[in-house]
Amino acid sequence: MMSDDLVEPVDAALREGEGLADQAARAVVAYRDGDRAPLAALVHVMTPLLWHTVRAQGVDAEQAQDIVQNVWLTLVRDIESIRDPRATLQWMLVTAKRAAWRAVRRTREDLVRHEHDEHVTDWLSAPAEDRPDTVAVRSERDRVLWEHVGTLPDRCRRLLGLVALVDRPDYTVVSRALGMPVGSIGPTRGRCLAKLRLALSNDPAWSMS
Amino acid sequence: MSTDESTLALVAAGSLDVADVEILQQLASLVGASDPVPAGLVDRIGMALTIEALHAELAELHLVGEPALAVRADETSIEAGTITFTTDVLTVMISVHPEADRVRVDGWAAPASELSVELHQSGDVTTVTSDADGRFSFSDVERGPARLVLRRPEEPQVPIVTPQIEL
Repeated sequence: MMSDDLVEPVDAALREGEGLADQAARAVVAYRDGDRAPLAALVHVMTPLLWHTVRAQGVDAEQAQDIVQNVWLTLVRDIESIRDPRATLQWMLVTAKRAAWRAVRRTREDLVRHEHDEHVTDWLSAPAEDRPDTVAVRSERDRVLWEHVGTLPDRCRRLLGLVALVDRPDYTVVSRALGMPVGSIGPTRGRCLAKLRLALSNDPAWSMS
Repeated sequence: MSTDESTLALVAAGSLDVADVEILQQLASLVGASDPVPAGLVDRIGMALTIEALHAELAELHLVGEPALAVRADETSIEAGTITFTTDVLTVMISVHPEADRVRVDGWAAPASELSVELHQSGDVTTVTSDADGRFSFSDVERGPARLVLRRPEEPQVPIVTPQIEL
């Protein structure tokens, strides 16, 4: 399961002080020197973040797979032209997000053309009541957290949902790629996480569980 | 500033602590469980990158007779079958035979020469060399999506890659 990939130590990714941005930078440099192994390892640790970044824009699962794969292919096709390898993570997140926007726009135009009012949703982009999330909730504590995350503003829900997938060194890159200001989260809590903390601390079900 | 607003500002200005990290970790596992990365996506990306790096020639797929081999990962067709791939420079025919819960893959390439033949399966690569008649075989192969990468002795830097097939 993907969540296990994220919480289990992935050797290089969790080395002290090193985040995905550093790992991506090293992978790009190694790839140019003819060593493809670090990039192959990066695919494993970074694909979940790209996946959820794309899905958070409201792209359906099938298109999201194509978009994520294309981001990787574009990276290797353009790898010689990357001026600053340290910007690789940022570049990939922004590329993924823009491709997701284009896909969503196309889908909406298609739906309008077909006079259809269904729209693609998933939990990071959908209002709380639309979320098909029963599978995910495995404990009372999960349920309480899920419920409060669901009541946050869209921007906050996306920020926290994606920041949760990375370690602290990458918070800035992830929030910037989402169009949130630097400092939205880390080193201080920032308003989104503060809202969640306050909501949880006011919920007896949270402190009890 | 209302009391609520000033409380929020105060909490927001606080440093991330252990409880925040725990909340984020719990949220990460909820995000992962609610919308998991589709099975096989990471492997497919790995394979796509490998092919991209090889600058390979992608073989076209031609089914011979009954299309007993599914060409999409989400179809399951496990009967033994024969399948042919062609490019301008090489034709490859393979047949798949069940052996207990695994399979044997026999293949033949024309024009015949001693080719290096790699079987790629979710990150694992097995390499054999064909005989002078272009015959090769993989035994004790796990079922699942697979591709062949063939290299001709005269042009090893331009491999020929088959589409993904379901063994």
